[in-house]
Amino acid sequence: MSRLEDDLRQALSRQEPSDGFADRVLARVQAEPPRVSLWERLSGLFRMPALRLATVAALCMVLAIGIGFEQQRRSREQGEAAKQKLMLALRITSSKLQTARTAVHSISEE
Amino acid sequence: MKLLVCLLTVFGLAGAQEIKLPPSIEKLADKADEVVDVTLDANMLGVAAKFLSEGNQDEATAKKLVSGLKGIYVRSFEFSKEGEYSVADVDALRAQYQPPVWSRMVGVRSKKSGEHTDVFIRQANGNIAGLAVIAAEPRELTIVHISGNIDPEQLQHLGGEFGIPKLELEKKKQATTPEAKPQAK
Repeated sequence: MSRLEDDLRQALSRQEPSDGFADRVLARVQAEPPRVSLWERLSGLFRMPALRLATVAALCMVLAIGIGFEQQRRSREQGEAAKQKLMLALRITSSKLQTARTAVHSISEE
Repeated sequence: MKLLVCLLTVFGLAGAQEIKLPPSIEKLADKADEVVDVTLDANMLGVAAKFLSEGNQDEATAKKLVSGLKGIYVRSFEFSKEGEYSVADVDALRAQYQPPVWSRMVGVRSKKSGEHTDVFIRQANGNIAGLAVIAAEPRELTIVHISGNIDPEQLQHLGGEFGIPKLELEKKKQATTPEAKPQAK
């Protein structure tokens, strides 16, 4: 047990680094390019005027298409509703004219 | 909304004689069990006509009919009991369909069933420029006002279209007519 303890103590003992270690680490850190986040990369793209313009144009087009579809849908709904009302009105008119016609025929037969 | 209901409804705009629907008749909507309220001016008729299909017989007929029309107005009230509307109010409406502008084409009154139906037409330059039907029954009141050019042939066929079956009146008439007896020599 004591031998094991000695081995562990030796393995986990503090080791002094070689000469120049700190300088080498600092030099390496300075040489590495800075990490850029995804957001910084994307926002960097938008610094290009052409891309900014293209994005705005695309958004406007999507909005215009969406509004166009919505207007078409509403027009179609209104048209169908008007058609149903028209057919109902004509059915009622037809029914009442038929009633009058029947009555006239009944009277003429008597 | 109540204010709107109280305002007079005017049928047949744009130069034609205006027919005013008495406010008391508009208020019948509150008493009626079932109400049909259709108001289609020239614009809405145009919109509706675009959606009528030539493939459907009823709709194709409607499309031909609607092509010359300026407006269709229907008010129909069904009541659960008799006496819910005033005959005087209906007579006041009928009184507006007077010569020289309007002429009564058909007037049918039945004491037995209590039905009173009038059909009025408006003629202009030899054409039918308007049609009105006022059908008063004990538990139902229907007012139809159509303004615009109506083809008389279409008018004749109007009864019996749009899902309303044509009555076989001609066949019935032939069945009841007695056959002529041959004269004895």
